[in-house]
Formats: sequence, structure tokens, C-alpha cells
Amino acid sequence: MIITKKRDFQELMENIKNYKSFFLIGCSECASLCGTGNQEAIDALTEALKAEGKEVEGGFVAKTGCQVLGTKTELKPFKEALDKTECILVMSCGAGTQAAVEIFEDKPVYATNDSLFLGNMTRFQFFDERCSLCGKCILDKTGGICPITACPKGILNGPCGGCKDGKCEVSPDIKCAWVRIYERMKKLDRLQDLCDNALEAKDWSSSIKPRTLVTRPDKKEEKKK
Amino acid sequence: MSFKDILSSGKFVVTAEVGPPKGTDIKEMIHHIELLKGKVDALNVTDNQSAVMRICSMAVCKICLEHGVEPILQMTCRDRNRIGLQSDLLGASILNIKNVLCMTGDHVLAGDHKQAKPVYDVESVQLLGVVNSLNNGKDMAGNDLKGSTDFFQGAVVTPEANPLEPQLIKFEKKVRAGARFFQTQAIYDINKFKDFMKYAKKFPVKILAGIVVLKSAGMANFINNNVPGIRVPQELIDELKAAGKEKALDTGLNIAARHIKQLKEENICDGVHIMAIGMEDKVPTIMERAGLL
Ligand code: SF4
Ligand code: SF4
Repeated sequence: MIITKKRDFQELMENIKNYKSFFLIGCSECASLCGTGNQEAIDALTEALKAEGKEVEGGFVAKTGCQVLGTKTELKPFKEALDKTECILVMSCGAGTQAAVEIFEDKPVYATNDSLFLGNMTRFQFFDERCSLCGKCILDKTGGICPITACPKGILNGPCGGCKDGKCEVSPDIKCAWVRIYERMKKLDRLQDLCDNALEAKDWSSSIKPRTLVTRPDKKEEKKK
Repeated sequence: MSFKDILSSGKFVVTAEVGPPKGTDIKEMIHHIELLKGKVDALNVTDNQSAVMRICSMAVCKICLEHGVEPILQMTCRDRNRIGLQSDLLGASILNIKNVLCMTGDHVLAGDHKQAKPVYDVESVQLLGVVNSLNNGKDMAGNDLKGSTDFFQGAVVTPEANPLEPQLIKFEKKVRAGARFFQTQAIYDINKFKDFMKYAKKFPVKILAGIVVLKSAGMANFINNNVPGIRVPQELIDELKAAGKEKALDTGLNIAARHIKQLKEENICDGVHIMAIGMEDKVPTIMERAGLL
């Protein structure tokens, strides 16, 4: 899921200082699990804004905030409140914020969260980054541990000289990704693989931005068949 | 004779290191280069060591050549992508820089520009492959070069890494990627180093043992607690302590000289790499005491 963190309130107030009335859009997916876009978060921000003398015309938790059409449909019942609103606040990730930008062509839209990374939830509201969405997965060669993400240098043939007692050069709180890979490959009895096959430099052209993807079969093509 | 030829001649080789300064005043650095001229077989020029921004390695390598000292261009992957690295390698080649040491490089968080974007488009093993490829007239993308390079390429290894086996797997990858010589992380336990050499001798590469002078017992303890892959044995710490504050540095120089002498006399490795770290002027003293001058 996409991990988000609430932005500093004073910073948010500075961004929206020119507006008086707001509508808040949360998200039931990642942002709810992060506690940044659920109903409680909306209620808390509503209170905080009111305490600063702002008006909150309404708000709701979108099913999937990054889904443009779905969110647009979900917003229909709120037309009256939205008409009175000067500014939209989006309480999900950067993708959700930009869905709102697309929906509200002539209203300012602001993000209340910073979007951090694609994360795993290891315990309730504890998040870890494990995949950087590189576009060409190499997990099959590294025992299922991603060095592009777990190693701060993204080294494909590690460990580097900075590894100290199995810990990463960058922080003693991180276990060296390449020691983890080594240990796992050893358990899987695949050490020979690791020794024999130096990984080649990555082809970064698979992650040139912005990326798009269409998975829906082309109806016309289907009919022709 | 070139560094490469000296190494293959079987002579016990000595390399040292010069760290380019931050800023354009290079008087002191030139003094160090002059001091080591004719004494060491080659001088490593560090590449923004510890991720602290300084004069680039290539410019200082050129200055070494002008002063009659053969340079070893250290090249890290932290600050340049594959286009920058290859372009700099071609540039170094036309400046007559013959030796290149391929390293991944300390993370930007270790240095003085923590906000920088770390690059690491390739890393040390892959960079060795790149040098190999340029030597064979092709760039990384397989395009033909108009004139190839003729580098003598090396790498680094940590004989006392903990855990050791992943480090050795990487060492072998470096050998297969074309490394011809290795300079090791500092070593202080000659017996342990002998074990490493027993293993390393199986490979067709030259090994220069890393020597770092201990200035005091405090420095030795600091290394043990903070520097990855280096272990100063307790006897050496005791020896430095016993020498007292006044004599500690002199004792440190003696230890370095003694180690070098043993490495040479017992034919343990192919040479040494002395990292003086701010005490470049002491390198000749160490060499003298080791019987190398
Ligand atoms: S290699 Fe790593 S970053 Fe790339 S897709 Fe696989 S897990 Fe994600
Ligand atoms: S210590 Fe390990 S995880 Fe950390 S940068 Fe080096 S190789 Fe990567």
C-alpha cells in the first residue's frame, strides 16, 4: 500500500491561508490503514480547522481515492456542499490528490499528507518499504529480498565495505540487505547461484516516468477475432 | 616502470594515498606528492572520500603525473551514472592515467552533502566490467569506441569483514569481472591476514595489504567500535597504551613498519597500501623503518 504521513499542520495552514471554506476527501484504502484518511482523521482535521476559524462544508471517505471516475460518482450527492466550498483538501496520497485535481477543474486542491513509499504493514501502523516499483523485478535472483529497496545504495552485488557486523553502513537499525540475501540463499541451498551469477547493471528504462499501462482487452480487436 | 609492470615483476610494491583538498589551495597536497615521489610505486587519489565534496580525483591524478608520480584513479559510483563514469574513464585515459580503482563509494549520508541524490546506477562489480569493456573497445551499451582504453583495474576487499563469506563471494565476483589487483581494508592481525591470503592466492590477482597508522590507543578503540571490517588486536592496543601519550604515535609508526616488514619478508602478499590519513609526511619514516628505503 501507499504509505502516507500527515503534513505539519502549520505548513498546511500556511498553504491554505487564503481560503475560508473546505471540503475534506479521505480514502478507505491505504490512507485509512495509515490513519491519515479515515473518518477519525477527517473528524480531527475538521475540528482543527474550525478551531482556526475555518469552515468545513463537508467531507467523506472515498472508496478508492485514486480511482478518478469512481470518486467523481461518489461525490455527486455532495454537490450542494461542494458548491459552497472554496478549497478541497485531500487526505490520501499524491495520486488521490491528483484525482481530485482532475475532478475539480476550477477549485484549488491541497494535500494534507506527504506520500512516502510503497510499504508493507508489519504490525498495526508499522510500515516498511520493500519494493521500489522498478518495473523489472529481480526478486527471483535474490532469494525474494529486494536489494534495490532494502540496500540504501541499491547494490546488485553486495555487500559493500560498509557492512558492520551484519548491519548496514547507513544505519545500525537496518540489517545489511546483502547479508540477508546471503543468509536466505544459504537456507534455500542456492549459494552457488549467488556466487556464480553477478547481476548485470539494471535497465532503468523500465522505470522512466510517467508510466502508463492498459490491461483491459481492446473490445474492437476482440470482436474482429 | 609502470605500476602494472612493477607488480608483475614480483617486486614488493608500496602504494600510498593522497586526499584532494576542499578548495583550490593545493600547496600542501603538492608538498605531499613531492614528498612521496620516487618512494612509492603509485599514489591513490581518493574520490570525494567519505562522501565529502572535494577536488575531483581525475584532476589530481593529472597533477601527480605532472610531478612524476604514477596515480591510481579511485572511482566511486555514488556521484555519476553510467554515462558520466564511462565519459570520465575515457577522459582519464587520454590524460594518460593508467590505473583505476573501482569502488561503490560511501553513502552520501556519511558526508557533508546529506541532501544529495545518491546515484549508484552501477556498483563496483559492474564498474569493473565496464572498464574491461572499454579496454576491449566497447562501451557499456555495446557501441564501438574509436580507440579503446588500456586501464589496469583494481578493487578493494575487506579481509576481516563480518560476516566474511558474503564479502568473499563478492571478492570472487570482482575477480571474474576483471579486477587485476586488490587493495585491502586496513589489517592489523597478520596471522588472520595469512589465512585470507591462503584463500586469495588461488586467484590470479595481486594483493596489497592495507596499512593504517595507529596514532593512539584511543584511535584503536575508536576503530574497533566504529569502523566496519577492521579489528585492532588487544596486544597492539596494550602496546600503544604502554608507550604513553608522548610515544604513542612513534609506536604506531613502529607497528606499521613491523607489519610491512613481516609481510614482505615472509612473502605474504604482493605489497602494501599505506593510508596515512592526514599524516602523509610520515609515510617515508614508515618505509625507512620497514627497510624499504
Ligand atoms: S526488484 Fe525490487 S523494486 Fe523491482 S519490482 Fe522487484 S521488489 Fe520491486
Ligand atoms: S551495508 Fe549492505 S545494505 Fe548497507 S549499503 Fe552496504 S550493501 Fe547496502
